[in-house]
Amino acid sequence: MSAAQALPAPARSPGFFEALAPGGKRALFVLGLIAVCLLFAFPVFWLVLTSLRPGYAVYYVHRGTDFTLDNFHDVISQEIVLKALWNSFAISTLATILSLGVTVTSGYMLSRFRGPIPTAWFGAIYVFRCVPYVSWVLPLYFVTRQMGIFDTYWGLLLPHVAVHICFFSWIMKGFFDGIDPSMEYAAMIDGCSRWGAFLRVALPAAVPGLTALAILCWLYTWNEFLFALILTAQNTPILTVVMAQFVHELGMEWHLMSATAVISLIPALIVTIFGQKYVIRGLKV
Amino acid sequence: MTLRKLFTFDEKKRFMLALIAPAVLVLIFFQVLPILTGANASFRDWHLHDPQKTWIGLTNYAYVLRDAEFLGTVLPNTFGFMFASVFCSLVAGLLIALLLNRKFAGRGLVQTVILLPLMVAPVIAAIMVRWMFNDQFGIVNVILDVFGIAPLAWLTQKWTAFFAILLTDVWLWTPWFALLLLAGLQSLPPEPFEAAQIDAASAWRTFRYITLPMLRPVIVVCVVIRAIDAFRTFDIVWTISGGGPARATEVFSIYAYVEAFQFMNFGRGSAAAVIGAVIIVVFAMGLYRILNRWVEVSK
Repeated sequence: MSAAQALPAPARSPGFFEALAPGGKRALFVLGLIAVCLLFAFPVFWLVLTSLRPGYAVYYVHRGTDFTLDNFHDVISQEIVLKALWNSFAISTLATILSLGVTVTSGYMLSRFRGPIPTAWFGAIYVFRCVPYVSWVLPLYFVTRQMGIFDTYWGLLLPHVAVHICFFSWIMKGFFDGIDPSMEYAAMIDGCSRWGAFLRVALPAAVPGLTALAILCWLYTWNEFLFALILTAQNTPILTVVMAQFVHELGMEWHLMSATAVISLIPALIVTIFGQKYVIRGLKV
Repeated sequence: MTLRKLFTFDEKKRFMLALIAPAVLVLIFFQVLPILTGANASFRDWHLHDPQKTWIGLTNYAYVLRDAEFLGTVLPNTFGFMFASVFCSLVAGLLIALLLNRKFAGRGLVQTVILLPLMVAPVIAAIMVRWMFNDQFGIVNVILDVFGIAPLAWLTQKWTAFFAILLTDVWLWTPWFALLLLAGLQSLPPEPFEAAQIDAASAWRTFRYITLPMLRPVIVVCVVIRAIDAFRTFDIVWTISGGGPARATEVFSIYAYVEAFQFMNFGRGSAAAVIGAVIIVVFAMGLYRILNRWVEVSK
């Protein structure tokens, strides 16, 4: 918190709210807070409520008092959902590790060097960052088929890494820009190689930023839909796709969809609750 | 710099290339190669049910650029959506960041609640919105009914469907703005604020003349990143309205996808994708210029 709040407030003539009602400003503030929280929480609250209703009562969620956990039981006993849960988890974790590994070096290079190579690379990632997903996810379907990795882990994993390269290199550059390079120079004068200076001096200093990025990357991959929709089929079911399939034109199984969605929210919730302080701290660097 | 110097690899250059090599390889195989494949397909007669793959030149481009659907609906929708979404979530995100930057009891809880949309997959949010705005069973119409407003068929009319999509997008991305702006706010030096307080500046003037200018770099970066992402929005539009009713809410990504995979004309879909890519790259270059003038990004 800034020191500004610690200073005694200078005397001011009472404003509109103080004149209206003593403590009114405070009440207004609290009301505003509650309204904002309601707006943000309502869709999630409604999702949880829908997931707890039996199938026959789902169309009148706001009426009746029948609640049940059967939906969760139904969903969990479907083999495809369990498989999708595991696949989503594995893909998100692997994609996070690979993306960070690939981009940390690229960001370091962008931050520490000048000249035609970094300039060209920066221009390339900026342009590729802008290319819309549809212009490469449609042909990517044919490309992964040609490579024989369609509908496998690699076929989804590597495109995900490619998605992250541009943005993460940019962010990583920012992290390393905030770290004073003189320590690395000192290490190199003392006989450390360039790799040594990077791995032993610069990398440990960037850990807060890396943690923040890892959390965001994991959440992003866990929630991703378009790539999973196009690049996977029966062999590699992904949770977001399986979930969306519960509400088709053929059958609107809102209760089962909601139960799956709630299950998919739990890991994300854990990651966010435990990770948010690292994210805010890491992004501040 | 002479060519020879450019192509001699001393120890330093080898190190630089080794650092970016993995990223470059992944980028080439999984982004450049598909983009080239798509660009190649856009010049060919490539129907998915009957892939002749004969070279037809610019026919696909001419079709898309003359298509009234593309010019009259898709482009205005895409840009309208981009501006509205970025503007609304920026304002909301800024307000929330300012709110969270104060100290009050229960701030941690409020912060977690506001970050909720970040953990919800856009697809889930979109499905939920479709469910809540359902004309027969949706909760929104039930609430409207309490206030005596007749139920609306939200998703079967263009502007109400557009509103629902926009609302979802703002709901999803406001926390993202709030998070980045909060991180920005917390790293501002306290001295200017102390000076303003000593001078008894009002809260609005402190915000307008100190917070906003100091926060500008963060705001600019957020807006550029988000604007580019909003241009290519796919999943929430696809899930909420599918581009309907009657293609009225199609944005550019949906148009390309529908042409390629529903009308099975991969060549035409690719041409649309290339046109969209060119538009956004040019747009992003312009934005980058402005960005560079305001904040130094690549020194």
